Amino acid sequence: MLKKRIIPKFLIRGGRLVKAVRFHENFREAGNPVSTAKVYDAYGVDELLFVDIDATPQGRPAAGSVIERVSEEVFMPFTVGGGIRTVDEIAALLASGADKVGITTAAVEDPGFVRRAASRFGDQCIVVGIDYTLDEQGVPRVVTHCGTRRTGLDALEWAQRMQDEHAGEIMLCSIDRDGTMSGYDLELISRASARLGVPLIASSGAGTLQHCREALEAGASAITISSMFLFSDHSPIKVRTYLATNGVRVRSQQGSFS
Amino acid sequence: MIAIVDYGMGNVRSLRNALEYLGAEVVLTADPTELAAADRIVLPGVGAFGDAMAAIRARGLAARLGDLALRAAKPVLGICLGMQLYARRSEEHGEHEGLGWLDAEIVRLEVPPPLKVPHVGWNDLRFAADDWLFRGIRAGESNFYFVHSFHMRCNDPADLVATTDYGGPVTAVVRRGRLVAAQFHPEKSQDNGLTFLRNWLEHDFGPDAGV
Repeated sequence: MLKKRIIPKFLIRGGRLVKAVRFHENFREAGNPVSTAKVYDAYGVDELLFVDIDATPQGRPAAGSVIERVSEEVFMPFTVGGGIRTVDEIAALLASGADKVGITTAAVEDPGFVRRAASRFGDQCIVVGIDYTLDEQGVPRVVTHCGTRRTGLDALEWAQRMQDEHAGEIMLCSIDRDGTMSGYDLELISRASARLGVPLIASSGAGTLQHCREALEAGASAITISSMFLFSDHSPIKVRTYLATNGVRVRSQQGSFS
Repeated sequence: MIAIVDYGMGNVRSLRNALEYLGAEVVLTADPTELAAADRIVLPGVGAFGDAMAAIRARGLAARLGDLALRAAKPVLGICLGMQLYARRSEEHGEHEGLGWLDAEIVRLEVPPPLKVPHVGWNDLRFAADDWLFRGIRAGESNFYFVHSFHMRCNDPADLVATTDYGGPVTAVVRRGRLVAAQFHPEKSQDNGLTFLRNWLEHDFGPDAGV
């Protein structure tokens, strides 16, 4: 049986790991991405996600040099996002060792880009990220440019549209919950997973073991975890053991070099 | 010397890193002479089937690789899309002819809800306990990393070495003589993947027939 995935999310700024709250508040330094990736590989996490958060604001694609170093150190899948706007940029990141790329802002600016990228690299290679915040009526609305530009798009409708454009996976990221460790947005996860035929990655809000279980039971194929791993005593091993004990199908195996 | 076929389709850096980590000497090449001189060949691949075949043909490699794999019986390991290229044809984005090394077709994964396509993530394999390809891999912990929307349907059950379960059996590993291929990514499958690659590297296939 296919296992649910636990994916540490690494935000990269200036070659270092950082973490904030709601994308822009309380930035904290969180270490070296390459050595941290190696530690998580040893823990046997299922995938890694790297987001270069300066890439879109600076109008450049995600830094490939960090990725190249990671691919020399770990033998596990990883996705890279941040500022990607062309198929050539995707090709370069894949050549650096990435397995999948995350596209967020560029998908809104040019939805056809997702389809073009999928036809060149395969649907499975394209993860469309959807950052959103709830409006006054409680409707999830898509926000681009690293949480700075509101679009008015309904996040669920947008997820459907991106699936139609051949996104291989959809990653839902609640800006309201980012870094708050207050739990995933279970309502949207459950509505989106019921509607979509592609795997759903739930992002933002993990603070407790229970939160992880809830998001996966709500229908997510995978969860990303950032603050909880960086700033609490919950390790990937602890998360996995808890999930397995509570009947969620996860991997029991250890990582590389064990 | 292991030659990774460099035809512009795929994440070859990770593959190269994994093979070198295991002590192999690796060359990345599309040069027919270098391919012929290599002890073994790895055929990687990420992307669409039709594009991959076009890229192989554009480099004049389709017939050449066939000669090396079938006539010279050089050991070849296909990975992911590289495995799918072994088939006669694929229905991915229209009908495309493959290398035709195996009597097999590539068809879209059809799975019942709530299963999702693509099949992304870690899934366990079913294989014969004494198979040399899986030496050192325990049946209960046989997870490998898959990421694909199409899969191989083998017409000759003898070619099928391992399957995974995703709404029914899905071809995970095939083998015919010295042709081996995996749908999953061993270079991304942590310990199990490295063990699988090491088993392939260390297996004594005997001398090839030359060309």
